[in-house]
Amino acid sequence: MSWQVHLPALLIAVPLLGAFLAPLTALGGKGLRNTWFVLVSLAFTLIAFLLWARVGAFGTAVYVMGGQSWNLALPSGMEVPVRILMEVDAFSAFMVLLSAVAALAGAIFSVTYMDRFSGLEKFVALYFLMVAGMFGMEITGDFFNFFVFLEISSVASFGLVAFWRDRGEALEAAFKYMLVSTLGALMVLVAVAFLYSKYNVVNMAALGKVIEWGMVEKTSLVLFLTALAMKCGAVPMHMWMPDAYAEAPAGVTCALIAVSQASLYGLFRVTYTIFGAFMGSPIIPWVIIVLGVLSMFIGVSMAVIQKEVGRLIAYHSVSQVGYMLLGFGVGLLALSDARAMADYGFTALKGGVYHIVNYTMYKGLLFLSAGALFYATGCRNLNDMGGLGRKMPKTMGLFMIAAAAIAGLPPFNGFVSKLFLYESSFAVHPVLAVFAMVTSVLTLASFVKIFQTAFLGPALKKFDNVREVPGAMLLGMSVLGVAILLLSLFPTWSVNHLVEPAAKALVDQASYIGAVFAATVPGGGL
Amino acid sequence: MWDQIQTGFGYWDVYAWIAFFLIAGGMVYLIRSFGRKDYKRDTEQDEIFFGSNPVPDDGEELKVPASSAYWGYTQALKPFYDVLVGFHTGLATDYAGWYILVTALVALLILL
Amino acid sequence: MTGNFPYLVVGILFVIGFVGLIFEKNLVKIAIAVSVVEAATNLFIITLGYRSGGSIPVWTMAGSGSSRMVLPTPQALTLTAIVIGLATTALLLSFVMTIYRHYGSLDVRDIRRLRG
Repeated sequence: MSWQVHLPALLIAVPLLGAFLAPLTALGGKGLRNTWFVLVSLAFTLIAFLLWARVGAFGTAVYVMGGQSWNLALPSGMEVPVRILMEVDAFSAFMVLLSAVAALAGAIFSVTYMDRFSGLEKFVALYFLMVAGMFGMEITGDFFNFFVFLEISSVASFGLVAFWRDRGEALEAAFKYMLVSTLGALMVLVAVAFLYSKYNVVNMAALGKVIEWGMVEKTSLVLFLTALAMKCGAVPMHMWMPDAYAEAPAGVTCALIAVSQASLYGLFRVTYTIFGAFMGSPIIPWVIIVLGVLSMFIGVSMAVIQKEVGRLIAYHSVSQVGYMLLGFGVGLLALSDARAMADYGFTALKGGVYHIVNYTMYKGLLFLSAGALFYATGCRNLNDMGGLGRKMPKTMGLFMIAAAAIAGLPPFNGFVSKLFLYESSFAVHPVLAVFAMVTSVLTLASFVKIFQTAFLGPALKKFDNVREVPGAMLLGMSVLGVAILLLSLFPTWSVNHLVEPAAKALVDQASYIGAVFAATVPGGGL
Repeated sequence: MWDQIQTGFGYWDVYAWIAFFLIAGGMVYLIRSFGRKDYKRDTEQDEIFFGSNPVPDDGEELKVPASSAYWGYTQALKPFYDVLVGFHTGLATDYAGWYILVTALVALLILL
Repeated sequence: MTGNFPYLVVGILFVIGFVGLIFEKNLVKIAIAVSVVEAATNLFIITLGYRSGGSIPVWTMAGSGSSRMVLPTPQALTLTAIVIGLATTALLLSFVMTIYRHYGSLDVRDIRRLRG
């Protein structure tokens, strides 16, 4: 048995260790703390990569915390799944890999970006706690642990959003974020309790095996759906998102994007893997599609008129999440119909999965470049900026890559996932594709606005002393920039090796369930 | 690795696009090289034309602020934007209220 | 019939909490409303775990003749949820405190610099 069997546990243990030892590194001064920050981030990225490679080679990895098998046989002979279970299928591994890259970029960026502030050992500790919670959400095989990890990542992110507590706005944003987020997490718990009340299990695979379509399941599904859609910012529950994203330090926002993607992951784990083909009505897919279209359109409309860089980009997050909801909604609609699935459903699903990776990369880079602008000039408002392209050519170049990618300009990767989504949503209803395209146009318009007002134009006197941001920040941004370029230049590779296995794992309900039950002795069951 | 992505309806070929941009860049360079090279540097010949007024020293007086961008667009859609901005009240209770409302609506849809 | 009374209480608590969240204007009262929702959730899970006539799920202490042991999962869930709830309530209240220092008010209508 190779040590790589323990990768799922290490993935959570390493950031947790990083978090708990971070306060101690304060004793060793700034250098030690920064080294620790970057080293642990590199470590979990490596683990995430190995895990992804392992799942790609050997199939779904099941890991039982502190035991050989997932179940416990009572003296009466009854077996119940009680142990803490991690289950990493291709979709989880895909999410873990890209969250790790985003978190690594945010960490490298934060080393210099946060240098001017005190209390950084607490910052590092909270950052790693958030990352541990995020990974936990993505690899857990158990609904209650999902709630626990959701709360870990949320509570750590509340603290990080309010890190600049000398700014009233940061506290306000953290309070609002916390209010809705806590409420949402409690509703997730209620949803888990509903499922528990009927089936006496909280294990995802065990639930997926026995679930039926009744009143209790419907209630539970609704609670999951709205709570997790709120966590990833679907309109009209998106209002916390611009507040929190714009007020958090830029490196944190980059990781917060990955956290919101973990919530999205949870939403699709519930709808596809637990309910999947058992879902007896098209209402839930349509609700997801409608939420997606609303998010796309309202998010981007609000973005065009924003004056703050951070808020503008954050409203784009709302609209980009809309694309993913649209793709997954269309896929879910086609799930029970094999012909529709082959015609357009799987394309939509691929588009949604592909958009997750594209979005995480370019949106992280956009927030980091907004942070770089803030670091260099001290301005948040676009009205105060201008002519910065002369002073910060490298930041401008990286921003251009990200902006072109999000707007879907060829030859960048943003267009490929959108192409999948346009064509598949057109097959469901042409209006959906029209909304998606209008959104894309407005996205381009608002990034032209940022680019023109911040980087172009005459040099301003007050920015005479502005310099290019330090190398460590550029390095953090380059991690994501290089990722975008690679995804753009090798689209066939990324579709075949990243996207398709993840999309296939998502629709393959039986193998997710079977992987757990195969890990036990023959004859075991509920 | 070098082939195209089939979407079921069409295809995506990034290398065709790169070739396109290379050709377009070459054409731009060609057109630019037709320009005159015999102008005198550091005279009034290479100064910005600013409505025949003297060019202000500070760029602040020249630049177009972000709030002026897409003025026509926002002006034309003013009723829509009034509703949309009014919807984002910033009240913490509204944030929670919308969440509860949406949950209730979806629950009504599916349970009834 | 009487067995369903706890669920009735849970429902009433949820409604009280939601109404408080939507209609209260004072930040401290909003924090209290969150706590009420949380208490309702915990009560809900605990009630689900109740089996009349059941005994504690420890084999050595269950005593003789008790074949009905309750599943300990709900208790474990509730304990964890209470701990998490404690942390979130403390953090929420400390946000309220620091917000008061910056804004000089606890009224949600005054705390809206971020909007639009």
